Amino acid sequence: MRPFTYTSAKNKEQALQAFTATSHYLGGGTNLMDLMKENVERPDQLIDVTNLDYKKITSNENGGLTLGGMLSNSETANNKEVRTNYPLLSMAMLSAATAQIRNMASNGGNLLQRTRCPYFFEVSMPCNKREPGSGCGALNGMNALHAIFGYSDSCIATNPSDMCVALAAIGATVEVQKPDGTSRMIEFTDLHRLPGDQPEKDTTLMPGELITAIHLPKPEFSDHYYYLKIRERSSYAFALLSVAAGLQVESGVINKVGLAMGGVAHIPWKLTKAEEFLVGKKPNQSNFEAAAALEMKDAKPFEANKWKVDMGKNAIVRALTQAYERKV
Amino acid sequence: MTKSINTSGVGNAINRVEGHLKVMGKAKYASEFPVENKVYGQGINSTIAKGEIVSIDTSEAEKLEGVLKVITYKNAEKLKTLEGVRPEIATDSIAPVLQSNKVHYYGEYVGLVVAETFEQAQYAASLVKFEYKKDPTAVIDFEKSKSKAYTPDNGSNYSRGNMEQGFSEADMVVEQTYNTPIEHHHPMELHAVIASWDNGKVTAYSSQQIVEDAKIAISGTFQIPKKDVRVISAFVGGGFGSKLNLDQHVILAVMASKMVGRPVQVTVTRTQMFTNTNMRQQNEQKMRVGAKKDGTLTALSHETLSHTSTTQEYQEPCGMVSKMLYNVANNEVTYKLIPMNIQTPFAMRAPGEATGSFALESAMDEMAWKLKMDPLEFRIKNDTQTDLHENRPFSSRLLVECLRIGAEKFGWKDRKSEPRTNKKGNWLIGYGVSSASRNSPYLKTHSKVILELDEDKVFATIQMDATDIGTGSYTIIAQTASEYLKIPVEQVNVELGDSDFPITPGSGGSWGAASFCNGARAACENAIKTLKNNRNIAEDKEVAVSELLKKNQLTKFEAEGIAEPSAEFGKYSVFSFGANFSEVWVDKDTGMYRIKRMVNVASAGKILNPKTAYGQIIGGLTMGVGMVMAEQTRVEPNFGNFITRSFADYHVPVNLDLANIEVIFLPEEDKIANKMGIKGIGELGITSVAASISNAIFNATGKRMRSLPITPEKLIEAGLEEGVTA
Ligand SMILES: Cc1cc2nc3c(=O)[nH]c(=O)nc-3n(C[C@H](O)[C@H](O)[C@H](O)COP(=O)(O)OP(=O)(O)OC[C@H]3O[C@@H](n4cnc5c(N)ncnc54)[C@H](O)[C@@H]3O)c2cc1C
Ligand code: SF4
Repeated sequence: MRPFTYTSAKNKEQALQAFTATSHYLGGGTNLMDLMKENVERPDQLIDVTNLDYKKITSNENGGLTLGGMLSNSETANNKEVRTNYPLLSMAMLSAATAQIRNMASNGGNLLQRTRCPYFFEVSMPCNKREPGSGCGALNGMNALHAIFGYSDSCIATNPSDMCVALAAIGATVEVQKPDGTSRMIEFTDLHRLPGDQPEKDTTLMPGELITAIHLPKPEFSDHYYYLKIRERSSYAFALLSVAAGLQVESGVINKVGLAMGGVAHIPWKLTKAEEFLVGKKPNQSNFEAAAALEMKDAKPFEANKWKVDMGKNAIVRALTQAYERKV
Repeated sequence: MTKSINTSGVGNAINRVEGHLKVMGKAKYASEFPVENKVYGQGINSTIAKGEIVSIDTSEAEKLEGVLKVITYKNAEKLKTLEGVRPEIATDSIAPVLQSNKVHYYGEYVGLVVAETFEQAQYAASLVKFEYKKDPTAVIDFEKSKSKAYTPDNGSNYSRGNMEQGFSEADMVVEQTYNTPIEHHHPMELHAVIASWDNGKVTAYSSQQIVEDAKIAISGTFQIPKKDVRVISAFVGGGFGSKLNLDQHVILAVMASKMVGRPVQVTVTRTQMFTNTNMRQQNEQKMRVGAKKDGTLTALSHETLSHTSTTQEYQEPCGMVSKMLYNVANNEVTYKLIPMNIQTPFAMRAPGEATGSFALESAMDEMAWKLKMDPLEFRIKNDTQTDLHENRPFSSRLLVECLRIGAEKFGWKDRKSEPRTNKKGNWLIGYGVSSASRNSPYLKTHSKVILELDEDKVFATIQMDATDIGTGSYTIIAQTASEYLKIPVEQVNVELGDSDFPITPGSGGSWGAASFCNGARAACENAIKTLKNNRNIAEDKEVAVSELLKKNQLTKFEAEGIAEPSAEFGKYSVFSFGANFSEVWVDKDTGMYRIKRMVNVASAGKILNPKTAYGQIIGGLTMGVGMVMAEQTRVEPNFGNFITRSFADYHVPVNLDLANIEVIFLPEEDKIANKMGIKGIGELGITSVAASISNAIFNATGKRMRSLPITPEKLIEAGLEEGVTA
């Protein structure tokens, strides 16, 4: 491993001030340290932000909860208020990784975890995300686990986070501290970006910006929710594909839908068309199927990941059905 | 006195005698020995699949603090190199490394950095720059390279009877191809060594399954006398075959120690465990099975296409099971290998059976389905008490009993023979069965016992160069001594894994328990016999060993023993047998499935300790579940590297994936196998689990899955909505 310096920031000002072009903030380190060991990330300085005072869960003015950026994934997902009011988020977060990793992982770090594309992890391979201009190894290589939506010729990677899929379904605002000490709010769906011709940029954050909070809207899907995660083993595996579904049903009619898919794009893939289609409709199989078809017809799979289209359709229908039937 | 002995002798479910050492961190694994003045070596791996190193820049690495040496082919010690075209890899093969600028596969060692600390060595290794000239003729794509296959010249192709006639007598023929991917052993303990070169003498604390062969390999590679090499493997954190032979990191460590004049530790990283410690190769197995309407097998052919490296040959004996498991007069087994620019494969747990049984037991299931016969009855109908391959009887064979008893326990009669008829909500439910067999070798073993009298108590120490690779060797050897010396196990001390001790075959191929325990038995029996003879006591007279020592006026006495197969042994085929039953629930929407329960019945001779035996079967079943659900190492088709690099992407099962497992051992007395009646158990568990589960998936979904692992995406591609595969 390359040598680097380690600074533990005591407050926001220290963290922001210490930041340089070759620094990285350090959350739980469950992603960053792995990438450093592989020589993929090569910071000169790590600024540990886990001691900053953003580790609470509080009520916010929207009538929702605000999750501290440095709070661990475990503490967040197991929090009573979160479990009761945002069970979809809790379910998604608890499906991720292992208990040990969730104990270490921070909320801010989770939002910024990087792709699991194998070419990204292996420094002898071409990868535009790791080394802009070197080419995309996956494009004409092994891409069975890659994107079917929103990719470009320069990168076809997917975002691996489960938490982010649930947040895309629920909606959220991310609060970040800018290097000048002021803060700004980013709509959750604006945080991650499609690869375009700059796949090295996963998000719209500017250098040195620090995530300190995730503001959730007033709870809407605490009755009808489901996070369906498809994977080849029951834990400690990223999703082959996942769907977060939240429904609000009144008098037999859907009046609010939150729907997003994971494992299919460079960003948590919000299923806006299906959401719009379902509002005002009855929560039944044929409507769920129509909604799924509407989304999946836009998929552009590669030869090796065609299965994601069929699996995706099934997964949308299934997640909506389980959400509606309240089968967890 | 006799009572306490009975509770710790052979057959008792005692706890592991070394358990407390492991729990307290006192059991020393290779890299944990406190060797003074040691430094660290970090291997550097090639990043091309084939070609030449054209330049090396070590300057930046050499400038770093703590770096003692950068070794590449340019300054490496001269070693004995492999001779001829692809010599067969064996457990005692030499392991030359850094002998030329040629690169044969992605990940091959091209250098080693030696530094004061592990961190310095690692960092420096990343700074050594290699420039390569890539050879575009690298063979890295199995599918596209089939025309390059050759027939290995090792006498393994086999046939009996008349295949043509066999198939002409058949009413039904099943002809299918089954694929299994590259898999990796991945024991929890990384391969590691601390080696010292001291005036031409080598000491290596190395994680090995067979210390004697490691010793031969080191002496052969450096061309130094065997007596000048000592290998110590006191505790081994799993091997599964990957530590049978000596891998190149050991040679690198010895070489580095010679060059820097200090002991050198080399630990293979988890990523290097993919490229530098062997693997199970990809197999394409073509099965052709012929049967009459009444279920009589008429012909069976088993063709295996596989790969080896460009430098050495290894061929997994996948067709072994087809030669001996069923009563079929006409049988053919063939092999072909493609030399590929991938590291040399080598034996992985149940080499031959684990993969071969997937093909055979799937094909048997397919035939049963075609014949509309119960797959259990179809197997039983084709049982044989003669090994038709060797043309000799089995020493004992309780396969039918395993199948019948398992069926009873499992509730096989509730199975719906028509696929897709057992459903619950989104779940499709199926039952599967498979037979298992595993050769039970028994090899020459030396052992020593040291008896010491302390007042009235006798303390015994058993020494042999056997290894405990996590299987429980320490415990069963202690139980054996307890049994034959008639002293409680607490008075037995077992010392293993040192090449200065008497020679054994080490751990591998399921021969360990039988060989080690009979070896220990022989030494104990010898001790007692000698003590009796010295005092003219009749050999059949019961005298406590403490009394014998006293009568001999001895407080300390040593005896050696040798155990080896009898002439009788050679007249029989000695195998362990088993049956696997599984119930699988497949989610028709997602392709995810759950193995709800498994029943495994084993007839594996004398069970020395039900706890350790159970552990072996459970471990084997778990590894089998891994084969079915997830394990696969894939080769990047453009570059030739493995795209799995860690446990994050090489998936083995987690606890939640495992079923309710019931393991039943059938009582078996097989004195032909060896005096103690012990048979192999370490590889029986993994054998045919994959087929049992795959057969259950067929019964559940109607989809025949012929390519491992069976993942959700493959099931979705197969179309779970409806239909039954032909
Ligand atoms: C084997 C394995 C399996 C996994 N399985 C899953 C899974 O199934 N599903 C899933 O969703 N995840 C999974 N994960 C990923 C895990 O959830 C992430 O690694 C974790 O959430 C990252 O959080 P962290 O605090 O450890 O981030 P770190 O590793 O500390 O940081 C990640 C990145 O975020 C930056 N950063 C951290 N905190 C902040 C902040 N407050 N502001 C700005 N930048 C910040 C860092 O500089 C770094 O670039 C798995 C991880 C592993 C190793
Ligand atoms: S998909 Fe993206 S991350 Fe993967 S190789 Fe291509 S550019 Fe790199």
